[in-house]
Amino acid sequence: MLIELCGVSKIYNQGRPNEVRALSDIDLVVEQGSMVCLKGPSGSGKSTLLAIIGCIFPPTSGRAAIATRQLARLPDRFLTLHRRETIGFIFQRFNILPELTVLDNITLPLLPLGIAPKERKRRAHELLERFAISHRAQFPAGQISGGELQRVAIARALINNQPIILADEPTAHLDTTLSREFMAIMQQLQVAGKTIVIASHDPLVFEHPAINRTINIKDGRIHVP
Amino acid sequence: MIPKNIEKQLNILDYALSSLWRRRLKSLSVLLVFAAVIFLLASFQMVTQALTAKAKQLLVHTPEITLQQMSAGRQEAIALTYSHQLAEIFGIRKVVPRIWGYYFDEVRLANYTIIGMDLSEIPGNALLDTTLLSGTMPEKAEQGKVVVGQSITKSLELGGRLTFSLFRPDLSLKSFEISGEFAPDTDILSHDLIVMNLADARDLFSIPTGLATDLCVYVTNPQEIETIAKKISAALPGVRVLTRPQIQKTYQVVFGWRSGFGSICLLAALAAFAILAWDKASGLSPEEKREIAILKVLGWETGDILAVRFWESVSVSGLACLVGITAAYIHVVYFAASLFRPVLMGWSVLRPELQLLPRLAAGDILLILAFTVIPYLAATVIPAWRNATVPADAALGG
Repeated sequence: MLIELCGVSKIYNQGRPNEVRALSDIDLVVEQGSMVCLKGPSGSGKSTLLAIIGCIFPPTSGRAAIATRQLARLPDRFLTLHRRETIGFIFQRFNILPELTVLDNITLPLLPLGIAPKERKRRAHELLERFAISHRAQFPAGQISGGELQRVAIARALINNQPIILADEPTAHLDTTLSREFMAIMQQLQVAGKTIVIASHDPLVFEHPAINRTINIKDGRIHVP
Repeated sequence: MIPKNIEKQLNILDYALSSLWRRRLKSLSVLLVFAAVIFLLASFQMVTQALTAKAKQLLVHTPEITLQQMSAGRQEAIALTYSHQLAEIFGIRKVVPRIWGYYFDEVRLANYTIIGMDLSEIPGNALLDTTLLSGTMPEKAEQGKVVVGQSITKSLELGGRLTFSLFRPDLSLKSFEISGEFAPDTDILSHDLIVMNLADARDLFSIPTGLATDLCVYVTNPQEIETIAKKISAALPGVRVLTRPQIQKTYQVVFGWRSGFGSICLLAALAAFAILAWDKASGLSPEEKREIAILKVLGWETGDILAVRFWESVSVSGLACLVGITAAYIHVVYFAASLFRPVLMGWSVLRPELQLLPRLAAGDILLILAFTVIPYLAATVIPAWRNATVPADAALGG
């Protein structure tokens, strides 16, 4: 297994008047090479769960292990280092910086790793060719189409060849065609051995045949129908 | 092969420069304001250094010790009979009386500095001729002959004439003939100066025989100036004893004081700029917050984001320093520091027009950097620390 959560809870602003319990006693195992969908309405805790898996912050209680490394008590700096090596993120609206070129957006995760410009460009061009957007390399990201933007976001998530891809509501702002295209690419990545976790309440995602397992989340708990 | 850490800093510097370029209008406006403040500060420093150096160079012609009679804390005429007492002090080579005064020209509203002295009495007086552009210094016996500074002929509107008249205190006229002119590079001291022999000065100011405004003492060994000055103080308790090093120091203090006053005004402007920079740096726009959150999710550490802000600030302040100091040099050399001349040079309407050669030592550059770049870095990087702790999950959806 690649991702293992055991009794994970997350409480924001603990001990303060505005305390919020976002997750309660989550037990979850995601096998290596599988594609899992976290399904649930807005505010159900999907993004919080994704953030814990993505090493953005540790759980308040419980045990979380990603690629055999225990995350629960890791300081922020080590979580960041672990995230760099292990996790590729695809965001809602893709979170591409519109003033940067497509090439610069894709290579952003490599800058703090001390990768030389030549190597950065080589890796980026490889992905641009793979997703058929080489001709857009020097375009400002704010000037390309939604479909191309989506592929740029995926390329950025893969630039450091991380084994896990996390996607947060990736189809929320896409039309049906682009949503299907997105899932097709995810399927290719799964076949290539990546482990994929997608948080979504879009039927086009959780009903997609490539999804191995759909996990329902409601009020911060895994809901078994 | 570049080490990873250096390559990482180069990558972050590259990102910081592209980030400045993306916000080029904002960056350019900060750069211009910052460069303007540095320009003013560097100009002040360059002019002060140039004036101090120039004054030091010219003050070698001043007497080694000057004596002035004091009464009730004020200066008055000194008796020439003191020369007899001074002759008993070992080490004194010569005592030369001098009349030093100011003549206010009511017609032109200008002050002239008048020095009356028998220059042939001064040991090594031949050196004084090197300060002249043309002519010779007036001899003791040459009545009515004067050497004038560059501005005098213009101020008196002599045209081609060499003669002019000044009023005695009883409003009778005394005529003079110009026998020489001081060289322009002595302008800082000679610009409004009229030098004549002692008898003419005594006549012009109606100072009784046997008195002068001060006595100039020349010593055998310049290393003993301070010792001899102490001996004179002991022998003549009512007399103020001024040594050449003290006068040199006074000039430095005068220019330093003027420069300091100007610098304090400029530092206030700099402080206002730093506060503005702090204010701008502490309030992030939603786009900037989003960018930080995205970078953090993509694996950037808080330190990496701070490094971006640090390199941005270093680039802006470094470029502003370069532009500001270069502009200050051009201002001082090619425009003769026209913005500050009234503040830093002269006090009468006759202001020197000497060519300044700016002097900016490494220490001065460090001083400017300390007063500009470091506060700017502090004003931008410290608040950025707070902003760099934007949680990475801000980039995620709800």
